[in-house]
This record gives sequence, structure tokens and C-alpha cells, in this order.
Amino acid sequence: MTLKVYADRMSQPSRAVIIFCKLNGIDFEEVRVDLSKRQHLTPEFREINPMKKLPAIVDGRFKLFESHAILIYLACVFPGVADHWYPADLFKRAKIHSVLDWHHSNLRRGAATYVFNSALAPALGMPLNPEVAAEGEKLLSASLAKIESVWLKGKGRFLLGSLQPSIADLSLVCEIMQLEVVDEKDRERILGPHQRVLKWIDDTKNATQPYFDEVHSILSKVKEKLKKLQAERGVSANESIGRTTLHSKM
Amino acid sequence: MELKLYVDRLSQPSRAVLIFCKANEIEFEEVSIKLGKLQHRSPEYAEINPMKQVPAIVHGDFKLSESHAILIYLASAFPGVADHWYPADVHKRAKIHSVLDWHHSNLRRGSLGYHFNTGIALAFGLPLDPKAAAEGEKLLSASLATIESLWLEGDGPFLLGNSQPSIADIALVCEIMQLEVADEKDRDRILAGHKRVLKWIEDTKNATAPYFDEFHSLMPFAKEKLKELKAQASKQ
Repeated sequence: MTLKVYADRMSQPSRAVIIFCKLNGIDFEEVRVDLSKRQHLTPEFREINPMKKLPAIVDGRFKLFESHAILIYLACVFPGVADHWYPADLFKRAKIHSVLDWHHSNLRRGAATYVFNSALAPALGMPLNPEVAAEGEKLLSASLAKIESVWLKGKGRFLLGSLQPSIADLSLVCEIMQLEVVDEKDRERILGPHQRVLKWIDDTKNATQPYFDEVHSILSKVKEKLKKLQAERGVSANESIGRTTLHSKM
Repeated sequence: MELKLYVDRLSQPSRAVLIFCKANEIEFEEVSIKLGKLQHRSPEYAEINPMKQVPAIVHGDFKLSESHAILIYLASAFPGVADHWYPADVHKRAKIHSVLDWHHSNLRRGSLGYHFNTGIALAFGLPLDPKAAAEGEKLLSASLATIESLWLEGDGPFLLGNSQPSIADIALVCEIMQLEVADEKDRDRILAGHKRVLKWIEDTKNATAPYFDEFHSLMPFAKEKLKELKAQASKQ
């Protein structure tokens, strides 16, 4: 096995790359780089990716980072990959580039900002920030609306009206899945209005099973961990209020 | 097949597409969409690009938005384009994708945040946000440092150590050129110490001359306009 995929399944783009490889029978070694333990900041990992981000791959001696670049590379280099993932047709391919580009500053930015600042930050030892979360939610909602009205227009069930999924479907759906770690009522509020998006998520899941569920199983574990952290924070907050009250009496 | 470019020369990615076409002798009709006059929000333009942004192209019946996708499409669709702009080699190509992807959330994001909140917001009737400007400058500076130490590493003068420019060089340099509308002291502060970056900007200009300067000719005008707007805003 010459292909190594450096990933943390908590990272949305890491999941997209792992699922893509498994689905297409691409032989690889998954090297876990634990973000919560800051393993992406080690000197060893810097040798792999000087940007200190996930995912990254090493194929033989070839190093590459940025998940879209990786997905495109893998689709081109491994012979078993069906055309619909990254079509040879220039026009179809250009449209896929277009949605992948749009993703960075829209869905990715909105969703990641919202999820991190409303729920996930404590898992990485950082504080929540409701103000920043609200800005993220605004962009996330606008992005979901654009997917609903523009990117899902057309005959097929997938992005760009395609009949079969592409790397763009995988990338964007993995991003939206991060919402699994926030409260159900928030997730329902944000996703509920977008019926086409919800159907598309299901269609993409079905097209990539069993790997989709397997790779996403980490999210329910992290959600449990976050609930525990929240409960602990609630307890220690009460304790310090008690202490303050005692002091003021003295 | 007719090629139309829907662009505003004050938009960094618009300039990248214009320069690329000219440098490769790709014939096109330039359709001006003036952001300052909110022309990108017209129903007519929404037919061209429902994302309401520039640049966008229409090639025959084919519509496309997002400058990186456009540059890749043009490099692939037009036979006269030399290989170095978007190499056929899958490894070289992957590296170009990597820097173009990195660009969105780093140089582009930092630059946009900085420019919008130090001046451009006023052109849209919005207030300036010094906090957001400072955040933008921080990311912009970090991105320039990364270009200096990482993306320009290697033997050649261009990104990824290449001896000839690629679409990535045009895209990123056009972004940095937006600093031409900022105050000189701010521009100098932000670019200070980045010797490789400054040389690379010159090398990219030279490789795409005279078109590079031609499409950047509006920058001094934009700078004066912004100065006026800022002066008016500070009087209020």
C-alpha cells in the first residue's frame, strides 16, 4: 500500500476522502491525526503537510493537501474510479469545479463556523462564541438555500442535476453532516426548510453505503462527549457560584 | 463559438480571467458588470449567474461561474494555451489545484475582509468595521508569509517552484494587486519584508505584459474614489 491518508474523522473533508477511497476500492492506509490532541501541530505532521491541516495524502513520494485537490487526484490516478465521480467531459467537469469552488466561501465557511462556535469548540478545549455562531448560521442558511434553488436544479438527484453522484456531492454532504453534533432542534430549524437538500443528503448516503455511515459513526460519539462536557461545565459553574455567595457573606 | 466575459475590472478574479484570455490570444467580448452600480444584482445578470457574482462566462450555450473553474475550463477548451498554464501532468495539476483551493480561505478571504472593511463597504453604502478589517489584515499577512515561505519554495520564480507561470500565479497576484487601492503606507506595511512575493509579482506582470498593466489601469481611479468616500464618511 503506497497511499497514506492522514485524517481525523471529525474533519468533514477527511471523511469525504476516506469514503471516496473505500467506495472505489482504492487501497490505502488511514493514519489518524487527532485534532483534539493537537497532533496536526507536531513537527512530524508538518513534514507531511506544512499547512498543518487535514486531510493530507502521501502517494509514494507525492504529497498533497486540500481535499478537493486530493479527490480530483485520486479520481484521475486510480483506474477503477467510475467517470461520474469526476467526468472526463470538459463541461461537466467545469461545473463540478464551480460548485467545489463555491463551497469554500459558502457552505464550508458557514457550516464550520456555526458548528464550531455553537457546539464543537469544547471538544477542542476552546470556548463557544454565540455571536460568531450566529454569523455562521446566517451564511449556512443562505448556502443551503442556494443548494436548494441552484445547485440541485435539474433532472437528477445529485448536484448539477446529475443522475449519479460526483466528488462534489460527497464533499458538500460530509460538510452538512457536521450538524449531527448540534442540538436536534437547531439542526431541524436550519435544515427543515430545505426538503430538496434533505432528500439529496439521503440519496448521497445511499449511493455511498455502507461506508458513509461507518465513517460518520464518530459524530454520535463526539455528541455524547459534548453532552458530558456541557453537564460538567454546568456543575462547576454552580459550585463557583456557591463559593462566591459564601465569600460575600463573610 | 462566441465567448463573453462578464466582468468588473475592479474585481480581482475578473482581472485574472481577462489577463489570461489576452495573454493566450483567446478572443472574447468583455461585458462590463459594474459592482459599484449594483449591476450584478439585476434580474438580467441573474440569468447569466444566479450567484450574482463576477466573473462569469458564456461560451456558446455554456455558462460558468467561479474564476478558478473558468480559468481551468479556458485552459482546457482552447487549443492554443501552453501547457504550463494548466499542465496535463496529473501531479503538477494537483499541486495547482491545491494552491487554488488554499487561496479561497486564506489570501482571498484575508484580502476581501481587509479591503471591504477599510474602504469598499462605503461604495455599497455600508459602514466600515475596523475589527473585521484587522482580522482580514491578520489573515492577509499570514497568507503572504505562507506564499513567501512555502508556495514560492523551489527553483523557479513562480508558485510551486515552477519556471513558468500557471493560472494560480495570475489568480493570486491579481488578488494582491487589490492593495493598489489602499493607502500607500498600509500597502507598504502589509507587503514589507516579503521580498520573494514582491519579485514574484513583478515576474508574473512581466510574463503577462502588456495585459497585466492594461487590466489594472483602473486601480488609481478606484483609489481616489475610495479616498473621497472615506473623507466623506469621516466628516459624518
